Amino acid sequence: MPHPHRRLKRSGLTMPIVTDRFISNAWHRGCDFINMDLEDSVPPALKGYARSLVRRSIPVVNKGGADAVCRINHDLMEADLDAVIWPGMVHVNYPKAEYGHEIRRMDEIITRLERERGIRPGTIAIGANIETAVGVANAYEIASASPRVRDFGGASGYDMSRDLGVEMFVGFDQFVYGKGEVELAARALNLEPRAAPFTPNITGSVSDPDRAFAEADAARQCGFRIGGGLHPFVVEPQNRGFTPNDAEISDAHWVLDEYRKLAVSNETWVQIDTQSLTPGDGPGPLDSSDNPNLRHRVIDRYEAARAAELLEWARLCADRDREKDEAIARVRAAADADAT
Amino acid sequence: MPAANQIRRSWLLVPASAAPRIASAPASGADVIILDLAEFVAEPNKPDARDAVPAALDSVKAGGAEVFVRIDPQLMLADLNAAIRPGVAGVVVSRLESAAQIAEAAALIDRLESQRGLLPNSVEVVASLETAAGNHNGFEIATASPRVTALTLGRADLAMDLRPEPSGEIHLMQYLMQRLITLAAATGKLPLGAWWRAPDRGLLATPENTLAAAQRGRAIGFRGSMCVLDNQVAPLNDGFTPTAAEVAEADAIQSAYAAAVQSGAASVVHAGGRALTPNLVRQYAQVSALAAACAIREEFKSAALSGRPIPLP
Amino acid sequence: MLIRRSLLIIPASNADALATAWSHDADAVILDIQAGVPPSQLAAARASLPDSIAAAGQGGADVLVRVNAPYWHADSNAAVCPALTGIVLPGAESPQQVADADAHLGNLELQRGIPAGRLELALSLETAAGVWHIRELMAASSRIKQVAIDEAALAAALGIVQNPSLDPFVYARGRLCIEATAIGVQPVAVLDPTRLGGDELSYDDKLRLATDARNLGFKGLVCVHPHWISAVNAAFTPTESLVDYYVQVREVFAQALAAGTAAAPFAGRMIDVPVDERAKDVLALSAACAARDAAKQAALASAGRQTGP
Repeated sequence: MPHPHRRLKRSGLTMPIVTDRFISNAWHRGCDFINMDLEDSVPPALKGYARSLVRRSIPVVNKGGADAVCRINHDLMEADLDAVIWPGMVHVNYPKAEYGHEIRRMDEIITRLERERGIRPGTIAIGANIETAVGVANAYEIASASPRVRDFGGASGYDMSRDLGVEMFVGFDQFVYGKGEVELAARALNLEPRAAPFTPNITGSVSDPDRAFAEADAARQCGFRIGGGLHPFVVEPQNRGFTPNDAEISDAHWVLDEYRKLAVSNETWVQIDTQSLTPGDGPGPLDSSDNPNLRHRVIDRYEAARAAELLEWARLCADRDREKDEAIARVRAAADADAT
Repeated sequence: MPAANQIRRSWLLVPASAAPRIASAPASGADVIILDLAEFVAEPNKPDARDAVPAALDSVKAGGAEVFVRIDPQLMLADLNAAIRPGVAGVVVSRLESAAQIAEAAALIDRLESQRGLLPNSVEVVASLETAAGNHNGFEIATASPRVTALTLGRADLAMDLRPEPSGEIHLMQYLMQRLITLAAATGKLPLGAWWRAPDRGLLATPENTLAAAQRGRAIGFRGSMCVLDNQVAPLNDGFTPTAAEVAEADAIQSAYAAAVQSGAASVVHAGGRALTPNLVRQYAQVSALAAACAIREEFKSAALSGRPIPLP
Repeated sequence: MLIRRSLLIIPASNADALATAWSHDADAVILDIQAGVPPSQLAAARASLPDSIAAAGQGGADVLVRVNAPYWHADSNAAVCPALTGIVLPGAESPQQVADADAHLGNLELQRGIPAGRLELALSLETAAGVWHIRELMAASSRIKQVAIDEAALAAALGIVQNPSLDPFVYARGRLCIEATAIGVQPVAVLDPTRLGGDELSYDDKLRLATDARNLGFKGLVCVHPHWISAVNAAFTPTESLVDYYVQVREVFAQALAAGTAAAPFAGRMIDVPVDERAKDVLALSAACAARDAAKQAALASAGRQTGP
């Protein structure tokens, strides 16, 4: 069920806020969000300087229509929040979340700062990132600690690997249990699961566009909606991979048409051999000629709900793409006007 | 050794509103037939479906199947009122979310058992943990009433919108299946399910894929599974029964172990290159016992279907 | 840092295995008086435990005794001596069982002049209830440094025959690694015994199986035969190339910090704080493994002088 504050997160770059050339140039990459990092990519000596940059960086990263997001430090939560909760910020990532009380404390501080700084209550979401074994063990408690937690995931990646003492990119899924615990908590609480199907990766490369598209495409087909990365090369492939294509949109309309017929007949499901259908002008099912898994289709209320969600998601993607295109065009027009 | 009445490999779901399905079900060979009042009965058909339960309870057991009724937890009073009658072995509560729902069902069943002359505490409850909340609360649900005898994920893949991954595995199901099996064993319940993979829609799979799903399911600890089509029953019965080759291997290993122990050899003996420990032998002993119990169950059903006298185990 | 990579388990009644247990370079030897000992030999095995413990520890290995769940009390009485590292308690399902064993070891420490709290209690879980309640079980005693799931016993408890191609314990193993790591206890692997015939497995097969276990978060592996030990020690010790890689990671990261950033590309990956932290961990682990190996070498040399020709 789409949340009233739902923001699209198909693509997003995480970058050190202290590296000006990254922050200044990120706006034209087409990201759904830009994650300004105060944490691991910022050296300890620069934490104070990093904080001083956040407020003025928000309009810079917003220029191309991207949402402003911040990653704060686990151990510097209060000071960091004071520096990042400003109008325009929509989401604060809290790394290595381990206990519900940490999230409740964040919620209190954000609630106060929203009031003091004229931000509509409840605007700012908390990204409670699970990156340790303790975090996995307390996943449900953490996810349920604040209504600001709207999507939820983790339990893999470098921090998790460090905590477990394992090497990554070993070719099999090392994190089945932890990812399962976290996703079950997310689903039990009706939060958007921040998850993806497992794809073996033995390179650990962060800049491979083909791989980024393949992963985003597989994640979308599996029902997931959230991406993000570290390198500009992966932004466009993620936007494309997480956006439904025309064939899927036609298929969703076809499913809903068939479901309406089913409902009239007082049946709960029907199985359709799509190769027995004669193609018409209207919407039709996905082509099963190169994917035999798609030949026999079941139509029922679950498939109908999935189709309706896909159409809603496609509409949100189209709206978001238009929003970003217009923002980037406005910046370029202004620059052209300045130049002449 | 499991008693014959605990052999419940195939659970055929039949909409209580579908007279032709009720008529064909006894010949399917199902260990259990579930008269469905929930998922497969369209809302306008529910009153007629409930009215059909008493007669169906009687007619579907002609093939020796035990009979359960699947109910909707939001319509519990009306559904249980239709279901709790002499001849019903239990109810399947679909789409469970909380232990409170089990407590509510148990209290209603207490009353209906007493009003309708059923033995107290005779009606079982199968908890269908289809939702994420139901799985999250699984331990509390399983232990909420001694009536709960079995746990299943039911159609969790649909209720939780879990889809196939590129590997063909249904996302999250490996975790959910093994979690459910662990939970069931920890609380002494029968774990029901099969290891379904794409492209089949789980309960609607072809006979071949149903057999494979049952075999994979048995390998990780499931003891039986629900299905929707009559032609899935035989594959489930087969898939949840040890094969002749498995029984032969199990018997051979037990004999070799017994001989080694008797001859006073060290307690770890080798046969076919394997280290035989008591725990390994314990695994194989259960294969033989399960196969024997399945044979008794088959004999019982075949006698019931043909009208022969029921053999005593 | 506790370095206990290879835990060789032998039946306490097996004189041949006992005679050479010290010489295989295992980090620990578990003397089993549970599954491995026929009932008729239990009394004799108990009586000889103190001598067996001393013998098994000559090569510098820690020595633990796996007791019988029903007679853990009497078995512990027979096992506890100053040379004993700890008790392996099988099949625990309730925190009370663990707390009782903990208290009993405390009494024995007091009676037998062993410093309070020194005896370890390792859990070997055998049932689904143990797996489900693992958090409460581990919290019931501060003596617990290691916990394992006996997968053959768990399979028997679930009524299944283990089939290596359809792994039934992804959940159980993952739960063990996460919950143990969360509470600061080391998860120890016990591999599927249908893969452990051993004769048909090459050194590389064993190295790969043990490395996969390490990459799930396990810190050691129970070896049912001495021919596993060298592969297991190698798998749980950072390799030279891994150490080299992390030495370079530390250099790259230090240079990045000096240049005012905490993220730097290296070999196609992004190096930042967690990678540098992992580098520190691996280098510390490597040093600790080297120290453990040196200590075992010294013990072996000394044992060789005492028992040599």
